[in-house]
Amino acid sequence: MNASQPPRWADRLLEWFCAPHLLEEVQGDLHERFTRELHVMGTRRANHNYWVNVLRFVRPFALKRQPERYPSVSLFSPAMFQNYLKIALRNLARNKAYSAINIIGLSIGLSAAMLIMLYTKDEVSYDRFHANNPSIYRITSKSLTPAGIVEQLQPYTGVFPGPKFHEGVPEITAFVRYRENHRDMKEGNDIKSQSVHYADTNFFSIFTFPLLSGNPKTALQNPQSVVISEDVAEKNFGTTNALGKTLFFRRDERFEPYTVTGVAKKSPQNSSIKFDVLMPLVIEADEMANNENWFSVFMNTFVLVSPGANLKAVEAKMNRVYVADARESIKIVAKKYGITGRTVYTLQPFTDMHLSKELPASNGLVDESNPTFSYILSGIALFILLIACINFVNLTVARSLKRAKEIGVRKVVGGARTQLIIQFLGESFLLCLVAFLLAIGLIELALPTFNQLANKALALSYLFDVKLVAGYIILFMVTSLLSGFYPALILSGYNPVQTLYSRFNLSGKNYLQKSLVVLQFTLASFLIIASLTIYSQFNFLTSKELGYDDKNLVIIDKSNLARNEANLLKEELEKNGNIIGIAPKNGGRWGTVAKINGETQVNFAYETVNESYLPLFKIPILTGRNFSPAYPSDSSHSVLVNETFVKEAGWKNPIGQVVDFWFRNEKYTVVGVVKDHHYESLSEKIKPQLFTMKASNPYGVVYIKIKPNTETASLRHIEKVFKKLFPLNPYSYQFLDQENLKRYESEAKWKQMMLFGAILTIFISCIGLFGLATLSAERRTKEIGIRKVLGASVGSVVQLLSTDFLKLVSLSFIFAFPAAWYAMNEWLSNYPYRISIGVWMFLATAFIAITIAFFTVGWQSVRAATINPVKSLKAE
Amino acid sequence: MKRTYLGEFEELVLLTVAVLHEGAYGVAITDELERQTGRSVSISAVHAALHRLEEKGMLKSQMGEATAERGGRRKRLFSVTALGSRALHDIRAMRDQLWESISPNVLPTLSI
Repeated sequence: MNASQPPRWADRLLEWFCAPHLLEEVQGDLHERFTRELHVMGTRRANHNYWVNVLRFVRPFALKRQPERYPSVSLFSPAMFQNYLKIALRNLARNKAYSAINIIGLSIGLSAAMLIMLYTKDEVSYDRFHANNPSIYRITSKSLTPAGIVEQLQPYTGVFPGPKFHEGVPEITAFVRYRENHRDMKEGNDIKSQSVHYADTNFFSIFTFPLLSGNPKTALQNPQSVVISEDVAEKNFGTTNALGKTLFFRRDERFEPYTVTGVAKKSPQNSSIKFDVLMPLVIEADEMANNENWFSVFMNTFVLVSPGANLKAVEAKMNRVYVADARESIKIVAKKYGITGRTVYTLQPFTDMHLSKELPASNGLVDESNPTFSYILSGIALFILLIACINFVNLTVARSLKRAKEIGVRKVVGGARTQLIIQFLGESFLLCLVAFLLAIGLIELALPTFNQLANKALALSYLFDVKLVAGYIILFMVTSLLSGFYPALILSGYNPVQTLYSRFNLSGKNYLQKSLVVLQFTLASFLIIASLTIYSQFNFLTSKELGYDDKNLVIIDKSNLARNEANLLKEELEKNGNIIGIAPKNGGRWGTVAKINGETQVNFAYETVNESYLPLFKIPILTGRNFSPAYPSDSSHSVLVNETFVKEAGWKNPIGQVVDFWFRNEKYTVVGVVKDHHYESLSEKIKPQLFTMKASNPYGVVYIKIKPNTETASLRHIEKVFKKLFPLNPYSYQFLDQENLKRYESEAKWKQMMLFGAILTIFISCIGLFGLATLSAERRTKEIGIRKVLGASVGSVVQLLSTDFLKLVSLSFIFAFPAAWYAMNEWLSNYPYRISIGVWMFLATAFIAITIAFFTVGWQSVRAATINPVKSLKAE
Repeated sequence: MKRTYLGEFEELVLLTVAVLHEGAYGVAITDELERQTGRSVSISAVHAALHRLEEKGMLKSQMGEATAERGGRRKRLFSVTALGSRALHDIRAMRDQLWESISPNVLPTLSI
């Protein structure tokens, strides 16, 4: 503090309270007095007296404001507001390219962000509509090793936990078990395989699924009753008024009637439980009597926990009930299968289920979702929005030179800095508003594609949700502030004297603009590399040799296909010349365990086939032989194994080795080794595989090889034969190569998502760059003119204008490449069979980015370089 | 005769303005008052009185020159208006009249 100055805060106080028209004389007098006292009494007393004097002025005459003769115009006075609006609109209209760049960029960014908010809101809202939340929990369990390490998390349960815990734990007030199965249903004269859900009778009292008709309390009481959705009712009876009507479902060889006791409204889109046909769950008495069923796990069990109960205590009680009830069978099972670990039951909040990676909502529950997907999506959306904001900042600051005069004039006629800031912020708000409205239109356009990509059924009407609208308004404000604040601050700070005398230049180093461009292109290059990698990996997955021939193979499901039926089917089918061969196999994926080399246990995929399977798939046998009718004992004594099995077993000489299914007391001899092939998705490692012909294992599917390009005729024949032989079974077919492709749907989704992200970011970055290049060329018109007059060629001028930008783009690679390399390696490590990230990807990215940037900048540069210098130099 | 009421302090301030003639502004008036009356006078009180007197039309003012010790701020210089002058004269006349009406020897003599 300057010693000869009166106390600052006292001065501030005075300035604050004293009426402006009195301030000058009063403050002057006080300062004069202070200066004198300073000499006479010293600083302390002078300061003290100053304070006292200031405070004494707190009296009515000094406080009372005089109406000003020339009142300063309020910021929001209609006249000024009108002026701001007019200037803003004129500016927008006069710089069409600039306005378009900003509006397009921002609206793409905003709509991306809004879509993601919509998506996230939907994800988070899953299962929240039930009135009983948050008291609904799912019973889950974890297996622990003897050392107490969690070995496996199990989201499913068997028949016991629900009723037993309900009985033994007072806090668990209700339970419902829920599972899915497929039943053959009569639909007119057709038979259709229908997904059927089973639930305990109190299903509707725990979950909130309104019934259009029927009593929710009693709908599931009778075992022969069925609750159907509107859609099913509409389809089967042509009306939703289907109460009391009958549907037929197959049990063994006959169709049994089920009475419709309720018609439910279509399950909400954001529900993990979606049912079309719901039946009461019937558990046979002997199932409940078999204590070993504690270890049979196949469905979901939900419970209601009384509100306010201590979850830890409830879980502890559950486990006490389990240990007491299952004591005997725990011992038996431990002995029989050599299990050393133990199981601990836990509770999972119902609403956590949808986004849980460890305990997903599957097995009759639908739409399980990987939260990583949401994170990536949000990340991309934020990237895009950020890049659009950067464009705004860069362009506004770069363009401000043109408005420097306006700013100067405004300041000279008395515009305060705050007024200018508000003006420029207002302009950015206006621009954002236009972009925002456009974004809503864009969302409407993009929603169908987005729904397909994200596997959702979102609609624009979802937008009209209070929270979401609030979110959008906040997004809008934040975007406007983010993009408008910095330029407003810079522009309002210009010195009017300099700007008005045209002594103003905005050259400087302009590090901010440069680093923002680098940031933009870092993000864009990152996304290019990511999409290149995902593309290559996807191509790799879909085109890698699987080790077998999946072309022209039709798959037909037929549960419990007996050996003689299979033979009959083969005979009948092969009557048609288009059918090359058929091979039955067990349905689904079987796996089991056996002992080899005496006591070593090995887990493997367990395939029940016959001798025609391997030849049909063109899977080579490396050593030994295939199954053969020439060896009748093959079905009871011989197995084939794959290379991985041999490797795992450590066999030097695999033929003749014994595989011991000790728990069934059966021993088999290896007669051949099959070449490793990818019988599962390529995202899984090839595991040991064993082929058997064991007669008591039922077949479930039939593979039919047809001649190429005979699909229509062959399929017609297959259908005819199937319906003749198995009139009671539903008929449906798939092609194996198409099914194989379906395994990579999630990769395909990633691929598209990344591609969209990369294209959008590159696009927005480039229009930004375009704008900057335009402005820079404009600013240097004279310089270019002089250079040309002095003999510069067009090429050299283009080079002059482009190098700066291309340097920035190249600089961005330094940041983007390591980050992308790291991220992509992480992603690829999920795949046992993967590409390696090649140098070519980085080179390609660099090439793409630089080429696009060069064309963006180069076009402007060429235009600037070809202008006749006479024109640019004459204009003053 | 109807005339504007003047408080004692106001009268003193008005008189001081007249005393100082050309250089009558806040600080000078305060100093002069202190010197003449020997009592402590606060600047704010003087300002308030000046303000009131100007409102009553007994003083007029204009802005004077700025000095460095005032931080470049101007002084407000006051001068007495005709109305102010008349008020002072009225008061004085009334006082004289009252003095003259006192019979001699009524007041105790002051021994100094």
